[in-house]
This record gives sequence, C-alpha cells and structure tokens, in this order.
Amino acid sequence: MKIDPSMLKPSAIANSNTIKSTKSFILKYQVYFLIGSLLILSILPLFTNRSYILGVFCRIFLYSILAGALNTINGYSGQFCLGIAGFFCVGAYSEAILSTAAKMNFWIILPIAGIITALVGLLVALPTLKMQGIYLAIVTLGFSEIARLLALNWTSLTGGPMGIKGIPVPEIFGFALKTSRHFYYLYLVLAVIFLFVTSRVIRSRIGRAWMSIREDQLASKSLGVFTSRYKAINFMYGAFWAGIAGAMYAPYVRFIDSTYFTLDEGWNILSMVIIGGQGTLIGPIVGSVIVNYLTELLRPIGQWRMVAYALLIIVMMWWRPQGLAGASNSIVAVKGETRMRHRKVSRKEAQA
Amino acid sequence: MKEGSYANMWDTPPSYSLYETGEAGRMDYFLNQLINGICQGAIYALMAIGYSVVVGVVGMVTFTHGEVIMIGAFAAYYMFFLSGNQIILGLIVSFAASWVLGYFVYKVCYERFFNAPRHVSLLTTIGFSMLIKNLSQIIFGPNQKPMLDVVEANFFRIGAVQISELQIVIIITVIIMATLLSLIFNKTKFGIRLKAVSQDKTASYMVGINVKRVAMLGNCLGCGLGGIAGLLLAVYYQTIQATMGGPLGMKAFASSVLGGLTDVRFSALGGLCIGIIENLGITVTTASFRDMFAFGFLILVLIIRPQGFVSKKGAKV
Repeated sequence: MKIDPSMLKPSAIANSNTIKSTKSFILKYQVYFLIGSLLILSILPLFTNRSYILGVFCRIFLYSILAGALNTINGYSGQFCLGIAGFFCVGAYSEAILSTAAKMNFWIILPIAGIITALVGLLVALPTLKMQGIYLAIVTLGFSEIARLLALNWTSLTGGPMGIKGIPVPEIFGFALKTSRHFYYLYLVLAVIFLFVTSRVIRSRIGRAWMSIREDQLASKSLGVFTSRYKAINFMYGAFWAGIAGAMYAPYVRFIDSTYFTLDEGWNILSMVIIGGQGTLIGPIVGSVIVNYLTELLRPIGQWRMVAYALLIIVMMWWRPQGLAGASNSIVAVKGETRMRHRKVSRKEAQA
Repeated sequence: MKEGSYANMWDTPPSYSLYETGEAGRMDYFLNQLINGICQGAIYALMAIGYSVVVGVVGMVTFTHGEVIMIGAFAAYYMFFLSGNQIILGLIVSFAASWVLGYFVYKVCYERFFNAPRHVSLLTTIGFSMLIKNLSQIIFGPNQKPMLDVVEANFFRIGAVQISELQIVIIITVIIMATLLSLIFNKTKFGIRLKAVSQDKTASYMVGINVKRVAMLGNCLGCGLGGIAGLLLAVYYQTIQATMGGPLGMKAFASSVLGGLTDVRFSALGGLCIGIIENLGITVTTASFRDMFAFGFLILVLIIRPQGFVSKKGAKV
C-alpha cells in the first residue's frame, strides 16, 4: 500500500494540525469551557423572559437527557434500542398516575418513575440479551408500540384517548415551580446531574465493560466480562434516565396522552443521537441542539421536518457514521467500503 | 396526521357480518374468524417471503419493507384508478413499483455497506424508511383513501361458515406467487445463484457469481413480492394510508423470525400463524390490540428458539 500523495501536501498537514491543536486546546481547558457554558446557561433566563425561548431551551435540556440515555445504550454498549419513546411513555405515565391518583410528591415520584422504567427495560431486554442486536432492536420497537397502545386503550388507568389532565406542578419547600423560567432551572439541574453521573459511570468498571462489549463482544467475554449482565445493566441504566425524563416532562406539559409517544418521537430522539454523535457525552447534546433548532427553523414547513432528519441520518451514515461529535476511535466510526474510494485506489495502483 | 390514527384502519374487519348471537353464533364467529385469519395470514406470508428473500440474499436486516409494501399498495391504487378493475395489470404495476423502490433501497442502504459493521446499514434503512414514509405522506396526503372494488363481494356459504370471493382470490394469488418463487429458486440458473449467494457470499464470489448484482436482483425480487402483498392488503381492507407501512414491516420481521429470518418456507408458515393468532386474538379482546399479537408471537419464538426452527446453512444475519 502506497502513501497517498495528497496526504503530503502542506495544506493537508496544516489542516490536520489545526484540527488536532483545536481538539487538544479544548481538552486542556475542558473544565473552564464547562464552567463557562454553565454560567452562561444559568444567567440566561435573567436576560430574557420570553417563554418561547425558554421553552426551546427546556426542550433542548430534556432531549439531551433522552438522547444521552439512548446514547448509553446505542453508543456505549453497541446494543440497538429503537424504543426509547416507549420508556419515555412509561416514565411520563407513571409520574402522571402517581401524582394525580396517589397524590405523591414529585421528588419522591421522580426516582420511583425511573426505577419502574428500568424494571420495564429489564423485562424488555431479558428475552433478547443473548442474541445479536437486531432482535433487541425489533423487540424494543415493538415494545414502544405496545406501550403506546396500552396507554391508548387501558382507559381505567391511563384515561385512554382522553389522556391525564391536571398533573400537579412540583414544589420545593412550598414554592411551586410554575413558569417556564422555573422549569428551565429544573431541567438544567437535572441535565447536569445526568451528565455528571453518566460521565462517572462510563469511566468506572461498568462503563469500560460496556465499551469493551461494543468493540468486540467475544473478546470481552473471553477476558472475563460477564457480557449479558453488563448489557442488562446498560439497558436498565438507559431506561432509568429515559423514565426520569418522562417524569420531568409530565408536570411541564400538565396534560399527557398517547400521541406524545409515537414512533416518530422515537425516530426524533434516534436522529439526535446519530446526527450529534454516538459514544461521546457531548454527542447527544450537539444532536439535541441541532435537531431542536431545526425543528424551530422548519416549523413553517412542518411536514418536511422528518424528511430533513431522514436525509441527515442517511448522509451521516454515508460519510460520518459516528456522527458530528462521535467517538472517532471506536467501532461506531467504521465506514463501509466506499465504491468511489475503492475505484480511486485501484486506479492509482494500476498506474503505479 | 398523528401516527395514532392508523390503528383505526385495522379496526373495521372486512367482509364478515350477520352473526346470530348465542352459543352457536359464537362458534360460527370463531370459525369465520379462522377463515379470515387464514386469508390474512396468506398475505402476511407473502410479505414474510419477500422479507426473508431480501434478508437472505443481501445478508442485512432491513426496516424498509413496510414502506415497500405501502408503495406497492399505492401503485395498485393509482393503477386501478386509471384502468378500472384490471387486477392482472394492478399486480404487474405494484410488483414493478416495489421493484424500482427496491433498487433505490439497494443503492442507498446496502451497496456501500457490505463490509461495514452491521448497525451502519441498519440505521441507513431506518433513515430511508423515514424518508419514504414522510415523502409519501406529503405526496399522497396523510389521510386514509378508500380502495376501489376490484373483486365482487360474493359470499359462498358452507353451513354457517362464509367465505368471500375476494378471500379465495387472495389465497390463490399467494399460492401462485409462492409456487412461482419456488420454481425460480429451484429450476432457473438465476434462482440457484440466489440460493448460493444467500448461503455463502465469499464462496459464490469465488465460483464466478457477480455477488453484488445477484444481491441487487434478489433484493428487488423480495421487494416486488412485498409490493404484491401491499396490493392484496389494500384490496382486502379497502383502505390505504401512507403510514400503513410501519406495523406491516414489523409483522413481516416477526413472521420470518420463525425461520431464522432467512428460510422462505418457515417465514410463510410464520406469517400464516400470525394472521390466525391475530384474528382469533381479537375475538377475545378488542380490535385495537391487534398489533400486539404479532409481538407476542415474536417474543414467544425468541424465548423458545431464538435461532429459528431450521438448522442454519450459511447465511448468518
């Protein structure tokens, strides 16, 4: 194999150096970047009180958690979950039912909803843990539809097509969180907690086990990783945070019915993960920002929104399968053979 | 148009009516549901045959099959609209439309990804199915369309059991298609190439088969069968809708799990089973739970025998 002469051009070298130095610069001052962006985000509501802008930010935080939860499943352990909307649905409905029927406190319900969703996730994953990813993909997809159909038809519990009305807002020490500014801070805090916990988890033994399963399941098994147990933990972890996100969502909209949790919602979250990047913490956040921004941008031509996401997914898979900010040094970044490149190489070899 | 509304489309079971109430009426209802189940299962079987041909030959799992079926149904709708009730013409057109879509699916989702990790082509098929679904919602409109009557609704009665002419036509069409496919597979050189590619790509490459071309043609063939299944579904239910593809694709998958995703005969059996289970299931519950039975079947098969009920030769998916 010969060295590609285009690599030796000065411009190419300079280009790769700038990217590298930018990356190392960002990594070096990572802490300052984080603190700076957190500061900006936390003082932002002081300057604007327009509920539209704050609402968009709330969506971005919420979907950062959802896409991040999906990313821990798809990006970190290389499993296929397509039914994240189902877990979102379970979390939201458990919050709504417990707060309206059982009149429980929001802060107690929040972890309970997460745990319920994690148990549901375990139940979904159990029959498929020992097989290849595709079965898990279909079963989760089916689960998402089943969850929605149950929410639509189990009228005595979920209100059926009427949904659940009048979900009480959360309170802190008697102070009710009502406006979008309050919810902005609630979502920001929970998103930061999610990011912090996830960053600790993926650097722990568990997270390393997940990544080894993603890279090569057989090899990690032969090195003593109990793969099916770690995959189950991974699935439950992702489902837990999706449930938390659902439980946060229900009091924000104050009325839920089954139309919030269609398959389109699942594709929406999946496109965030794919466009933003798989296998990194920042990836889903980037995806959430891009997709939510596109949603607002394309609002006048609503129907073309999903077409745009679909095209973006295909483009990403063709040219950058790990996504914009994905893990470049992993199996999610491996492209297929590209016919064009193959042709070019063979032509060059023929000339040489 | 919200996704929730396509469930309504399946809520109105076609062509059976007039039951007497009481014990005897209940038994007749059960038998009629069995007949309906067999007819619907025949359509599912055709879908599943197409799916397992695609998965076997290409070697990658697809999520676009539901959209392929939907395109077949719409092609038939417009053909019947233009030509009156020429059912043969409709069959040819829906086969051709789905064949063409299959070609695009191959070009976009498979051709570059034969050596890539599996999730890349899978996610591309998901993106492509989103694209087709939403584009056709824009082009054909999001609402249900009533299908034209192509077969007269005559009923034959055998005792209390009634079977419509339409159901007989559907079952006969499926049987003819399955026979044609098995003739292609066993008697022609092309079919033998297809079988070789689905069993071992490297070995068939070594004996001089143009693997990519055969994979493309096999994919188109499977998609074409899906298109015919779409026509039959549209005629049977009398409605078509741009969002109908989603649950159908999943049912095709669930059926072909019975044969380990690649075996044609067991996929057909799986489709028949799902059709019967669904129609008997809604005698016990309400019709809105219809889509759940396919998943119940899928999960049951995955628990009992996840690798399918055939011993595998090559062709791992």
